Amino acid sequence: MTMSCRDAIALVSSYLDGELSEAQAGPLRAHLLDCPDCREEAKHENALKRWFQAAQDPHAEAPPGFAARVARRVFSGDRGLQAPSRASSEAGSLLPFVLALSAAAAVLLFILSIALQGRDRPAGEGLDADERAPWLEEHERAPIPVEIGSERGDR
Amino acid sequence: MTLAMEPALKDDSRLVQETLAGSQLSYQKLVERHQDRVFGLVRHYTRSAVEVEDIVQDTFIKAYHKLGTFHNQGSFSTWLYRIAINTALDFLKRLGRSPVQAVEDPEDLGRRAVAERNVHAPSARLEREEVARITHRVLAELPEIFRTVLVLREFEDRSYQEMADCLGISIGTVESRLFRARARFKEALCRHHPEYGIDGKG
Repeated sequence: MTMSCRDAIALVSSYLDGELSEAQAGPLRAHLLDCPDCREEAKHENALKRWFQAAQDPHAEAPPGFAARVARRVFSGDRGLQAPSRASSEAGSLLPFVLALSAAAAVLLFILSIALQGRDRPAGEGLDADERAPWLEEHERAPIPVEIGSERGDR
Repeated sequence: MTLAMEPALKDDSRLVQETLAGSQLSYQKLVERHQDRVFGLVRHYTRSAVEVEDIVQDTFIKAYHKLGTFHNQGSFSTWLYRIAINTALDFLKRLGRSPVQAVEDPEDLGRRAVAERNVHAPSARLEREEVARITHRVLAELPEIFRTVLVLREFEDRSYQEMADCLGISIGTVESRLFRARARFKEALCRHHPEYGIDGKG
C-alpha cells in the first residue's frame, strides 16, 4: 500500500468529481481496493453525490422569445432592474387591481339591485292596477270610483 | 478545455465582437446560446419562476453593459455565470432574503472541522420531486458561499477550474470550500431528516 489513508481520504472527493489525473487516480484506486476503511469513506462520499444526482431538476428552458426581448431591451437603452424587482411590484400591483375590480363589481351589484327592485315593485304591489288597461281604469274611475275600491278590497 | 469546445468558444467570441460592433441580432443569438443554462443556474437561488426570469433578464442586461470588459479571457459561459450568481444574490438581498453568510472563514478552518455525519443514498422509493424538495431546502439554509459551490459542482457540472474562474478564487479554495460545503450539507440533511443519516465513526 503506497498511499496513506490520510492522502487517500483527501483525494476521494476530487476523484469522485472526476478531477484527478490518471497518475493520481491509479494509486488511489489501488489503495481503495486494499483498504476497507477508506472504501467505506468513499462509499459515504458517493452516497452524497447520489443525493444530488437524484435531485437534478428537469432541463431548464427559457420562455419563448426571451432572447429577442432581452436584446431589444438592451439595444433600446434599458439598464435593467435597478429598482425593486418586477416580481415584487407585479405581485404588489395585482392587489390594487383586484380590490378595484371588487369595488366596481360591488357598485354594479348595488345599482343593479336598485334597478331590479324598482322594476319589481310595481309588478308586485301594483299588480291590480297594472293588469287593468289604462283606458278601462280611466273609464271606470269616473262614474263609479267606489266600486273599484271595493273590487280591490274583494281580492 | 477540450477541442470540441473550441468552436463554441469561437462562436461566443465572434458574437461578442459583433454585438460590440452594434448587432442586436448577434446579442440575441448569444443570449439564445446561454439562456437555458442560466435559467437552470438561477433557479437554485429562488424557486419562483417570475423571479428566475427577472434575474436572468437582469443578468443578460448587465452582461451586455459589461461586454467590453470580457476580452475573451476564459469562456463566455463562466464569465456569464459569475454575473448571474452576483445578480441572484443582489436580487435576494433587495427582497430582504439574503442568503446566510458564513460565520467563520471556511478557508481558515480548512479541513480540520470535519462533520462526523454521513448520509445514506436516497432510496429508490423516494420520488425525484421529494429528493429535490429536501435537497433544495437544505441547500437554501447553507451559507451562500457553500450553496454556490455545491450548485456549480453538483447541478451545473462545472470543473474545479471553471468554478475557480467563475468565483475568482484558487482551485485549492474551491476544494476546501466544497469539502466544507458537503460536510455542512450532510449535517443539515441529518438534522432535518435523521432517518437518512448514518452515525459517523464518532
